[in-house]
Amino acid sequence: MSAKEPASRPRLRLRLRRRRRSGEEATGAWYPRWYWPTFAFPGTLWVLVLFLLPFYVVVSIAFGTVDPVFQSPLPVYEPWFWTTKYLLEEWDLVTGQFRSVEVRTLVYVLVATAICLVIAYTVAYYVARFGGKRKGLFLTLLIAPFFISYLMRMLSWVELLQPNGYVNSVLTFLHITPHPINWLAGVPFTVVVGLVYGYIPYMILPLYGFLDRIDQSQLEAGRDLGANPFWTFVRVTLPLSKPAILASLVIVTLPMFGDYYTNNLLSGSPKTTMFGNLLDNSMEATGQGPEAAILVLFLAVFLLIPMLYYMRETAKAQRQQ
Amino acid sequence: MSKTVSERPRVDRRSEGPVPPAGSRSTRTPLGWWRNPWRRPRILATLTWAYLAWSLLPVLIAVGISFNSGRSNSVWQGFSTQWWWGHPSADPSGALFVSPELRAAMIQSLRLSFLTMFIAVPLGVAFAIGISRWRGPVPAGANFLMLFSFVIPEIIVGISMFLFFTYLLKFVHLGTGGQLLALVTYQISYPVIIVRARMLSIGKEYEEAATDLGASPTQAIRRVLLPLLYPAILVSFALVFADTIDDFITVRYLSAGANTEPLSVKIYNFSRGALTPAINAAATFLLFSTLVVAVIGVLLYRRITRGQRGQTQEMTEHLT
Amino acid sequence: MARHPKERRPDLGGMTRREVLKRSVAASLALPGAAALLEACARPGATSEGSHANGPGAGKYWPAGSPYPLARQDSPVTWKLWRQPIKSGLAPEKGATLQIYNWDSYIFPRVVKEFCAAYNCKYQITTFNNIDEALAKMRTGQLQFDIFFPTPDILGKLITGKLLQPLNHSYVPHLVSDAWETYQNPFYDQGWHYTVPYAVYTTGIGYRRDLISDAQIRGMSNPYDILWDTTYKGKVGIYDDYREAISMALLKNGISDLNTGNKNYINQAQQALVSMISAVNVRTSINGAYIGIPKGTYDVHQAWSGDMVASWFYTPKQDMKTWQTLGYWFPSDRKGAVFNDTITIPASAQHPVLAHRFLDWMMTFKNAMLNFSWNGYQPPQRKADPTELTTTKSSYTGEPYVWPWLADAVVHESDFHTGYFEEELTPQVDALWHNAWQAFNSGVS
Repeated sequence: MSAKEPASRPRLRLRLRRRRRSGEEATGAWYPRWYWPTFAFPGTLWVLVLFLLPFYVVVSIAFGTVDPVFQSPLPVYEPWFWTTKYLLEEWDLVTGQFRSVEVRTLVYVLVATAICLVIAYTVAYYVARFGGKRKGLFLTLLIAPFFISYLMRMLSWVELLQPNGYVNSVLTFLHITPHPINWLAGVPFTVVVGLVYGYIPYMILPLYGFLDRIDQSQLEAGRDLGANPFWTFVRVTLPLSKPAILASLVIVTLPMFGDYYTNNLLSGSPKTTMFGNLLDNSMEATGQGPEAAILVLFLAVFLLIPMLYYMRETAKAQRQQ
Repeated sequence: MSKTVSERPRVDRRSEGPVPPAGSRSTRTPLGWWRNPWRRPRILATLTWAYLAWSLLPVLIAVGISFNSGRSNSVWQGFSTQWWWGHPSADPSGALFVSPELRAAMIQSLRLSFLTMFIAVPLGVAFAIGISRWRGPVPAGANFLMLFSFVIPEIIVGISMFLFFTYLLKFVHLGTGGQLLALVTYQISYPVIIVRARMLSIGKEYEEAATDLGASPTQAIRRVLLPLLYPAILVSFALVFADTIDDFITVRYLSAGANTEPLSVKIYNFSRGALTPAINAAATFLLFSTLVVAVIGVLLYRRITRGQRGQTQEMTEHLT
Repeated sequence: MARHPKERRPDLGGMTRREVLKRSVAASLALPGAAALLEACARPGATSEGSHANGPGAGKYWPAGSPYPLARQDSPVTWKLWRQPIKSGLAPEKGATLQIYNWDSYIFPRVVKEFCAAYNCKYQITTFNNIDEALAKMRTGQLQFDIFFPTPDILGKLITGKLLQPLNHSYVPHLVSDAWETYQNPFYDQGWHYTVPYAVYTTGIGYRRDLISDAQIRGMSNPYDILWDTTYKGKVGIYDDYREAISMALLKNGISDLNTGNKNYINQAQQALVSMISAVNVRTSINGAYIGIPKGTYDVHQAWSGDMVASWFYTPKQDMKTWQTLGYWFPSDRKGAVFNDTITIPASAQHPVLAHRFLDWMMTFKNAMLNFSWNGYQPPQRKADPTELTTTKSSYTGEPYVWPWLADAVVHESDFHTGYFEEELTPQVDALWHNAWQAFNSGVS
C-alpha cells in the first residue's frame, strides 16, 4: 500500500487521468473518448435491433398465445400479461417424455466433440509444426470445406452410404464386413460421424491458428529440462492451448446441440432423434408456436451457461495479457 | 512471430555421422530414429492425409457425379454435360444454365452473397476494432450478443427474423431486403471473431508509434492498423461469402417468391424430393463461385502486400 | 375496462380476441413501429365471438369456440361469399405474369407453359414445403399469388381469414362438363364457392413386388400389419407427417374415424407406432415411397397412390422388369384413407380473370391428363375411366397412365363415399395428435 501522495503531485495526476480517457492504462496514443465507441456503434446497433429484438419476439411468443382462427403464434409484448401455461406444459415434457432424447443428444454431442477434438488437434498440430513447404497447400485443403455447401457435403455422404453405395462396395471387397450394412437405418454411429464430419472444419482453423504461433522457445525449454516429446506436449503445449480449445469448443459444440438436419439426412429413425428434431417438429406444426418457442428458450438457456463461462475465461485471459 | 521447426535450416543430420541431439545413439538405428526429436512424425502425417481424404473425397465424387450421363446419384454411368447445359430427360425445363428458374436462382445467390459480404464485413471489422479498445458493459454486452447469434441454431434466427419482420417491422418486406438483413445479422459475428483474434495479437505498439510520429488517430488507423488487418479482412470476406451462398434456412423463411429464392434453397428442395445429378451440378456451381471469390481474395492480398510479402508461414500466421 | 388477466377463457388458450387487441394496442404504444403493430392488430384474420349466424359459413359440426364450422363427410359445410366474385364476361389480363403458389414439383411446367402460350402471359411458380409456411407467407399480405393449391383442411382458416376469393363459375365451365360430379358439391365447400379439385389420391402401402408377392399382401387378414413384419427390418418406412402416420396406425387398429379425438384410440395408435421402432426399425421420410422403394432403400413404405404411380420414373434401371417390382396395396373394399387437393384463387390475386381461366384449363380433360402423366396424381376427370387407366397409353410417356400391376392406385369416384377423409381437427384434438407424434419421435409409448 503506497503512502499518501504528497500535495505537490495533483497536476501530474490530472494529466495522467486525461490520458486515461480512452479507458486504457496510460498509453502513448491519445484518442478522444468517443473514438472507439463510434467504431463499435453501427455493429452494436445492428445486433441490438436485429438480433435482440427478434429474440424478444420469440420470448413474447413463448409466453403469448395463439390466434383463434389461424392457430398461428400471437406474441404478447408486455411481460405482465404473459402466460406460463406453455412453459409448464413443456417443462413437464422436457423433464419427462423428452428425457431420453436429451440424454441421447448430450451423449452424441459429447462423443462427436471428443472425436472432433482429437482429430482436429492432431491435424492442426501436424500442419502447424511439421507442415513445412506444404503449409499453404495444407491450409487450402483445410479451408476448402468452408467453401463447400454443408448440404452438398452431407448429401455426398448419403450417396456413398447407400446399401449399394461405394462405402459398402469397398468394405465388402476388402472383406471387412461379410455383407452390406445399412448405414442409414437409424445407426447412431452414422449420426455421430455425420456430426463430426459437418462440424470439424470449424474446429481445425482456430486450433491451427493458435498452434502455429506457439513460441518455440517454450517448447525447447521443456525439452531442455529433460522432458521427452510426449511430456513436452502434455505439460507445455496442451495447457497453453486451453484458450484455443475453448474457443473451438464454443464454435462447434454449442451449435451441435440444436442440430436437426444431420439426423434427418443420415437417419430417419426415431431411435436417433436429437433435441433439434423435437424443436423442428414443433416449429413445423400448426398451433404449436408457443411450444416451439419455449423449447427454443430452454435450449438458449442451456447454451447460455457455457457461453458465459467462455466469456469469463477470455476476459480473464485478455486481462492477463 | 514464432518460428516453427520447419523453418530451421534443413540439415540431414543422419549424413553427418553419429551426432545424437539427445541421448547417445545414432539416428540410423531404429531406436535412434524413434528417439530423434526432429524427425517428421509418421503417424501424425498419415492421420492428417487420411483426414483430408475423408474430408474432401466425397465432395470430389459429388462434383464428378454432376457430369453423370444417367440419372443415378450413386453410380457412375458415363460422362455428359446434360445437367449443366443440356436438356436432361428428368428435368424438362432444362439444366442449370438453361432453365430460367435455375438461372434466376443463381443470380439471386450471387446477389445476396455479394451484398451481404460488403455490408457484414465492414460492420464487423469496425465493431471488432472498436471492441478491442473500448472496455465496459455495453461493448461486452454487444460482444456477447454477437457470439450468441453465432452459436444459436440458424433456424431460430430465421424464424425470429421472419416473425419480427411480419409482426413488428412491417415496412421491411419479404424478399431480397429482408433476406439481406437477416443474413447480415447472422454473418456479422464471423468478421468480428476473426478480426478480434488478430487484433489481440497485434497489440497497440504500432498505433502508438504512429501517433508518436505525428499521425492523427484516423491516420493511424488507416495507414497502420488496417493494412495489418488486411489478411484477416480478406479471409472474412471469403468466409462470409461462402457461408451466405450456402445458406438455405434463413433465406427460405424470408423469400417472397420464386425469383427471390437462391440456388441453395433449390438444392434443399431437390434434396427433399427427387435426387438427380441436377443437385450436384447446382452445388458444384456454388462451390466454384466461392472458389473464384477466394482466389480473387488471395490475389488481392498478394498484390496489396507486394512489398511486405514474406514466406508462406507469415501469410498463414496473419490469417488466423 | 380490461379484463383481469386471471380471468381466462380456457378453450381459446387464455385470451379472447378483444383482450388480445387491447393488449396489443397497449404494447404498440410502448414499442417502435406502433403504427405497424396497430395495423397488425387490425389485420383481417380473427373473427368476432358473435353468433354462428354471422360466421363465415354454415355446417352441422361447429365445435364450441371454433370461429368456423369444421367440415366432415357427414356434415358438409357451405361457405358464405364474404365478397362478390369478379364480374362475368371480362377479358383476361394482358401481359401478365401468372403467380402460382404450389407444393414443390407438383405441377407439370409444360401444362402451365401451354396455358401461357394460349393466353399470352408469363408464369412464375413459387413453391412451399409445408402448409404452415404457406399460410404464414400468405397472411403477411406482401405476396400476391394468383393461384394457390391448399388442402381442404385449411379452407376454414383461409376463408374466415378472407384470404381466398369466391369463384365466378361462368369462367370455369369445364368443372361441370369434365370433372367428377361430386366436386360440384364437395362436403368441404358445398356449391364449389371457393375451390376446384386438383388431384385425388389414396393412402395405402407401397411395396416391392419381387420381395412381397401381390397374393401375399392381399391374403393377409390385416395387410397394414406388413409394416410391422420383422422380416423387413430396417427397410420399413412411414411418412414424416403426424396425420398420415397416426391415421395408418388407427386403421391398423380397426378405427375408421381418422379425425378422432378419443384419447384411448390415439394412445393405442401411438403405442402401435412406437412398437414399430423396435420391431422393424422404422424410419420416417417424405419421398421414401417414390424414391426410396425404387432405389432399394425401403422394401415397404406407407405410400400415396400418386407416389407409386410416378415411382417408375425413379428406378435406377429403366426397363420393364424393374418397373414390375413396384407395387401398391389399398383395401379391396376401398375403405381406406382418401384425400384430394384443391386449387383456389387468393383474394389478393392481381390477375383474377386469368386465374379463373387457369382453373378452367386445369379442369379440361386434355391438360389434366397431361399433368397426370408427369406427376402421377390422378385428376378427377369423367372421361378418364378408372377401368381403362391401366390400358390407355399417355401421349407424353407412351406408356399406360397407370401400370396394370398398380391397379389399386387408381382412384374411383365412389372411393369418396366409402373412404375416410382426413379433415380439420379442433385445436385441442390437434394438440393430442401432436403430442402423440412427439412421443413417437421420442420413442416413448
